[in-house]
Amino acid sequence: MPHGEELLTRVGRDLHAALPSPSRHPIKALDAKGMELASRDAELRAALFRLVDVTPACRSLDDLARHLAEYVEEVDERPQALEAAMRVAHTAPGRRALGAAAATGVRHMAHRFIVGESPQAALGVLGDLWKEGSACSVDLLGEATFTREEADRYAARCDEALEVLSVAAGSWPGRHLLEADSAGPLPRVNLSVKVSALTPLMRPDAPHVGREDAAQRLRPLLRRAQDLGAHLHIDMESLDALETTMELVFELLDEPEFSDGPSAGVVLQAYLRDSGQQLDRILEWARASARRPPLTVRLVKGAYWDHEVVEARRHGWTPPVFEVKAESDRNFEELTRRLLDSRPRKDEAGMPSPSNPLLRVAVASHNIRSLAHAIAHNRATGGEDRDLELQVLRGLGDELGIAIAASGLRVRSYCPVGDLVAGMAYLVRRLLENTSNDSFLGEQQRGASIEDLLAAP
Amino acid sequence: MKDEAGMPSPSNPLKDATGLGAFINEPVLELRRAPVRASLTAALEELDGRLPLRVPVLVGGERGADAGFESTDPAVPERVVAQAGRATESHVAEAVAAAGRGAREWGARSAIERAVVLVRAAAALRGRRLELAALMVRECAKPWPEADADVCEAIDFLEYYAREALLLEHGPALLQVPGERNTMGYVPRGVVAVISPWNFPLAIPTGMVAAGLATGNAVVLKPAEQSPGCALALVEALHGVGLPPEALSLLPGFGEVGAALVRDPGVHTIAFTGSGAVGLDIVRAAAETPDGQGHVKRVVAEMGGKNCVIVDSDADLDEVVPALVDSAFGFAGQKCSAASRVLVHEAVHDELLERLTGAVEVLAVGPAERFGTDVPPVIDREAVERVAGYVEGAGRSGRVAIRGQVPDGGWYCPPTVACDLEPDAPVLSEEVFGPLLTVERASGVDAACGAIERLPFALTGGLFSRSPATVARVAARLPLGNLYVNRGITGAMVGRQPFGGNRRSGIGAKAGGPDYLLQFTETRVMTENTMRHGLVVE
Ligand SMILES: Cc1cc2nc3c(=O)[nH]c(=O)nc-3n(C[C@H](O)[C@H](O)[C@H](O)COP(=O)(O)OP(=O)(O)OC[C@H]3O[C@@H](n4cnc5c(N)ncnc54)[C@H](O)[C@@H]3O)c2cc1C
Repeated sequence: MPHGEELLTRVGRDLHAALPSPSRHPIKALDAKGMELASRDAELRAALFRLVDVTPACRSLDDLARHLAEYVEEVDERPQALEAAMRVAHTAPGRRALGAAAATGVRHMAHRFIVGESPQAALGVLGDLWKEGSACSVDLLGEATFTREEADRYAARCDEALEVLSVAAGSWPGRHLLEADSAGPLPRVNLSVKVSALTPLMRPDAPHVGREDAAQRLRPLLRRAQDLGAHLHIDMESLDALETTMELVFELLDEPEFSDGPSAGVVLQAYLRDSGQQLDRILEWARASARRPPLTVRLVKGAYWDHEVVEARRHGWTPPVFEVKAESDRNFEELTRRLLDSRPRKDEAGMPSPSNPLLRVAVASHNIRSLAHAIAHNRATGGEDRDLELQVLRGLGDELGIAIAASGLRVRSYCPVGDLVAGMAYLVRRLLENTSNDSFLGEQQRGASIEDLLAAP
Repeated sequence: MKDEAGMPSPSNPLKDATGLGAFINEPVLELRRAPVRASLTAALEELDGRLPLRVPVLVGGERGADAGFESTDPAVPERVVAQAGRATESHVAEAVAAAGRGAREWGARSAIERAVVLVRAAAALRGRRLELAALMVRECAKPWPEADADVCEAIDFLEYYAREALLLEHGPALLQVPGERNTMGYVPRGVVAVISPWNFPLAIPTGMVAAGLATGNAVVLKPAEQSPGCALALVEALHGVGLPPEALSLLPGFGEVGAALVRDPGVHTIAFTGSGAVGLDIVRAAAETPDGQGHVKRVVAEMGGKNCVIVDSDADLDEVVPALVDSAFGFAGQKCSAASRVLVHEAVHDELLERLTGAVEVLAVGPAERFGTDVPPVIDREAVERVAGYVEGAGRSGRVAIRGQVPDGGWYCPPTVACDLEPDAPVLSEEVFGPLLTVERASGVDAACGAIERLPFALTGGLFSRSPATVARVAARLPLGNLYVNRGITGAMVGRQPFGGNRRSGIGAKAGGPDYLLQFTETRVMTENTMRHGLVVE
């Protein structure tokens, strides 16, 4: 075993050992059971997704039950329990009961992923997370943006969230690890923003159109974040939005008024075949920029894999993403190394270099192997633990987040906020992710050994 | 079937029974990549340096006059794109006579020889695809994504029909009993007159011409007067790869040329795509059998539509809005498949109308050459006036919810949404063929189906619903040629969505589908007695 792998395995095993036992979370274990069932049977999985997807659009419990029955009708092999449930769908009272049960189930699932209907309502959960050792990034869920009013409304909600979170975060207790790294202080308030929600003019073949329009709404948000000392993170969406997003961020952050802040970040998606070039571009910009606060780069694998592949196939294009999961995993590790290696080295006497790092690195994954690799590489190359942030999604990476915090590492939980209707697209994507055959979580749920989970991709 | 990445892979009915390789749709350009866009802009610049193009009357390979009328850029009407010869009635007679000779020569070739010519012509178009897209941008104000898709569709028609024709070479199996041998086969009908529109200035003429040629007919092409330049590109591609010159003639010109062509007794089949009024004239004219005409003409006609989209209460409006905007306003609504009426469940009507209106408000109206243009100008002044007339009428019998802004110059038509219309408003039953969408409140899906059934048209339509039972019920009930569920209603792909209308929207089989070519053939059945002196000798 190469030297690096040994360290990685040790880190991974420690992280795994720090995971809370699932038996202590009976409700989550129950959820996991349902997920497991769905991941074993493609038809059942389809039925579940369609149900979750349609729930907010159903006008009544009867309507919901009718949809459920129609989806289940298309499943060939129905588990007994479902079979029994469908028999009651033939009467109106039966349907009402079934609809109520389905609605409760979907709401329950949604609550696992969505921390509150509004920033105000989310404060309790966010404060608890902080006290337990996890920072957060809030993501405001919303319907797609097609109109100016919708874009304005989203921007106003972001503005309000920054305000509400800043007020509340002021009274959170001190948490040294979450509030500073060697480059300086880290904002407590961290908001993730989607460019496609900031403009109705996203046009993949005309990135400048969306960029110009979104800039008018992102600029005031940057100002507000600067005033409040908050961090603004620009999420990455499908490839169709990539040019608009990158150009927008680079252009705005280079404006003189933002040369001292706010703290801001972008996302790099390792599943993109050309993500290496994307990183070149980020580094190039960071080197050339006169901006003081280092840009945070959140490294992810990418959440739009099915969409990218289907879209490409439909048009006869080579998919822009890797098609073998292990290639995404390997590339993720490669990019992790490049990101960590981009930071200034300690000098020979072991003193940190006086120059500011170009980038701050955040590694976002639920894959223990991917995380352990980042932690191990950082340590092996002389980096400090506090200069590597690890990020998880609320609802998918809760246990992992606890384990990371318990290991003395900085973790940030990405927390969606919004109502059920607006959150549906997000919810369905997370469910898909959680039950797909290839996913790390799926493997983990199916009881793969820690050796297998930590094996090199 | 799943491939290595776990995605279902397309099953291909044409899998290589032909020796030409399996048919696949020509990939459209990936316009989200900046270098691809730059290559198109460069192609347009290069084209601009060569304008105006010269389009001759081409009869049996002889180049005739090339100055008679002009096609112009709808965004800058002073710019002449092509200068074309104006075919006369005597050209028609010559072209049909040449086609009679051409049909004998071409029809005598084997199906595979003909298929190879078509596939080579596809390659020729592929080699010029940037330039051809640029030509559509100029001549028809077709925005880049649609112009590129038009070239791809033309290539698809050539490739697809080439393969389909090979499948027709051996007729279907018949019942056989002892003592007789029954065979069935298809032969060319003779001369095909193709009359094509400007809105798919390359794809539609290519489809009809390729179908005629693949099955061994000769063709006389009369393209729309607005797009002679695009038609010439097709004829050049075919003549350049070994098609006998007499098998394809080009008659640029106006309506009277088409009318003369339809009447010519030497024409066997008429393939037409265009307005309902002209289509019905053709059907009537084709029924004439003057002395000396030893056949009855067959008409394949693709006519107008009044395409409706039903939105049920369980629809996902995040999907509905962009699909509607795209289907109604893409290429300024100038597609026969374009959405023109939306029938919305009352529970979601107000919300959808509000979001739709807001989405239309931000549409960019501008020249086709500009990336980011959502709505280009319409084809000509007449179109501007026709659409304006419908918008005015909609204002009188209802309310105009939004009317966009337009730039100066050019045949621009503001994208418009109208609502609260009287049930008998003409805009609810007549084809507008422009950027105007009407929105109606429906008490439910069944009421919406009733409204659609009352229309004489039955081309495309859409349904947004997440209930499998509703989808099945609506699909069984609506008479439409092409029903799209939970997606936009334009953009039919060759081999994937065979396309064509029913009822007053068209007669004939669906273009780009497996039964289209049969219309260009005659069927022959032979029965041979195999009994000799009481013995079966087979
Ligand atoms: C805090 C946080 C923030 C995030 N923000 C974003 C964001 O802004 N934008 C974004 O796109 N995503 C974002 N994600 C989601 C992320 O991209 C992944 O989808 C998710 O984390 C699953 O990856 P994993 O490493 O946790 O799990 P793993 O199971 O190890 O990896 C799953 C991932 O592998 C990739 N994959 C799956 N199948 C294949 C295949 N056949 N071939 C190649 N690759 C495959 C996909 O990217 C898939 O999501 C975020 C995730 C977190 C935790």
